[in-house]
Amino acid sequence: MILALVVLCCALGVSGAGPEQQLTVYTSQTSYSLPVVDRSGKQYISVADLLSPLGSSQPTTKEKDWRISLNKMDLRLTEGKDKAVINKQTVDLGGKVLLENGRFMVPMDAVLPLLARLLNTTIDFHQPARRMFIGNPFTRFTPEYKNGDQPSLLLNFSQPVTRLEINHDEHRGALFTHSNKTTLTFRKDPLVSDLKTQQFSDGAIQSLAFSEENGAAVITVTGNKHLQVIRSEDGKTITLQPQAAEALATPLPTQPNTPSTEVQKRTAEFFVMIDPSHGGNDKGATFGGKLVEKDITLRLARELRKELEERGIASRLLRDSDIDLSLERRAEIANEQHAGLYVALHAGRPGKGIRVYASFLTDPQQPSASRFMPWESAQAGALGRSQITARAVSDELRKKGLTVANLAMPVRPLNNLAGPAIAVELTPETDDPQSPENVKRQNTVAAAVAAAIAQVRIQLGGRP
Amino acid sequence: MIPRHFQITIALVLLAILISGVVIIRMTHKEEALTLQAAEAAPVAPVVGGKQEHIQVLMAYDDDQALRWRPADVFLPADRGLRARETLRYVLAQYLQTPSPHPLGKGSDIKDVYFISDDTMIVDTTAPFADSHPSGILLEEMTLTSLIETLNANVPGVAKVKFLVDGKERETLAGHADLMSFYQTASVHELAKEFE
Repeated sequence: MILALVVLCCALGVSGAGPEQQLTVYTSQTSYSLPVVDRSGKQYISVADLLSPLGSSQPTTKEKDWRISLNKMDLRLTEGKDKAVINKQTVDLGGKVLLENGRFMVPMDAVLPLLARLLNTTIDFHQPARRMFIGNPFTRFTPEYKNGDQPSLLLNFSQPVTRLEINHDEHRGALFTHSNKTTLTFRKDPLVSDLKTQQFSDGAIQSLAFSEENGAAVITVTGNKHLQVIRSEDGKTITLQPQAAEALATPLPTQPNTPSTEVQKRTAEFFVMIDPSHGGNDKGATFGGKLVEKDITLRLARELRKELEERGIASRLLRDSDIDLSLERRAEIANEQHAGLYVALHAGRPGKGIRVYASFLTDPQQPSASRFMPWESAQAGALGRSQITARAVSDELRKKGLTVANLAMPVRPLNNLAGPAIAVELTPETDDPQSPENVKRQNTVAAAVAAAIAQVRIQLGGRP
Repeated sequence: MIPRHFQITIALVLLAILISGVVIIRMTHKEEALTLQAAEAAPVAPVVGGKQEHIQVLMAYDDDQALRWRPADVFLPADRGLRARETLRYVLAQYLQTPSPHPLGKGSDIKDVYFISDDTMIVDTTAPFADSHPSGILLEEMTLTSLIETLNANVPGVAKVKFLVDGKERETLAGHADLMSFYQTASVHELAKEFE
């Protein structure tokens, strides 16, 4: 739960433009990043953001004093003072405590002494890169280069890596000079390495470099071809190989396609994350024994992708084959990739019509002063836009002559999505998987949903 | 001397009576077995005190995709936890009948109900309640709303409810409805209006 919460918050935190300075904290249970701000030439962080994911109590504020408990230790900060008190012992902070928008800020230099006193465990702080390791959470890797007609580079990790950002930079210089850089950024994985650089060849995969910067570990692979990045299902191996090569492992559903441009960078363009619900061992609802929900949703998802493409709207499928994917992971992927809209597709009885759902918050939380957001009510900030989308989809479906109910329900994982999110549930016409009536209905629904998204995409942050 | 054709007629009549008797006995045994099986699948009638009360329960009707209030006479103890358990068991028992307005799987029952604070209740259900629950957003939400609203109407002071399955947390009821959250009864009261 905490991990998911933290991931969500980090996803929100990096949504702004520009390279925000960050501190990343790794523990054996979780990892999280928090913003670092510059005040009079000193780097500051919010103490609540630092301690909250480690299990601290709710802070209490009285005039200029701020108190919090963690690990049976009491921490007291006072605005304007350069010392903290932990269980009556004074700790030098290396700068004054600041109070900004209700948040108590301490200098970056104070992070290590504060945590060392509060946690009483081993802490390894890579201060220039702003990466802090509490306990022994390290993940290491070894590169394995395979030469031949089809060169490839395998990165073998000691622990599964789960949070990966990929960037491709392509530079066409003077005659015959052409280089590609594939950058793998690991912000949430506690990746460390003694390896700094390694040379392989002068072909498609030439060298590898490891570095740490701004709260993340970075592996940069240089070559003269655009490289495809494939992660194995267990997350412990990443394979890099020239784009045209056949995949060695199942690509991540999160893997973005990078268009060929002069300088290619991942952009934060509006796209729809389509979630064909269920899959793998989870069949979902069954209809007459042969027709199962997971197959209906996948076909409908592909049709919706086609309809969106025809309207110039980018989309990604959370699964494009019959694989298991937990509900929590689906929400994490959509949040991490900053989907402009999440659409979950379902099929179920009773009734004959279509049901369109927006989220229903079972236990609405009050907005917190902290930038961390409860996982179970992450949808709170986007609920209005979700409802607008649900209404637009319902209207378009009605125009197609379908019976539609527009409902608010606590459907998992809508409440865990930080952006606009809806679910669409259709009922099959018959129990025959090959029935043309079913196919026709699915196509009609896909066209209506795509038309509605095209209408509301500006309100959701997309370009007209 | 009895005529031969009369002897044959008497013999046939006796044989028919004998066969009918055997058939009736077998049918009776079969009916008893079915009744026993149904009784085993239904929630076990608890040994509770209390008095019979005339209450309102919110029942799900799949055919109409609706929830409707229905009167019921149920023996309810004074203790809030036991009262909640008996109320919920009554609702589940209605769903387990044949025909049912909202069929649930055999063995669906409430194992325990307890409070973790004055206003927060945990409802621990049996594994079949979730394992054999029909999958579908609407069907699952109707079940939860029916149970929570019935609690809300008959057990005073319950502000939050969470469901467990066989003593453990489960993400969804049958793939769709959220079981991880604590449901605020006031919010569910609003949610129930969706089914009117």
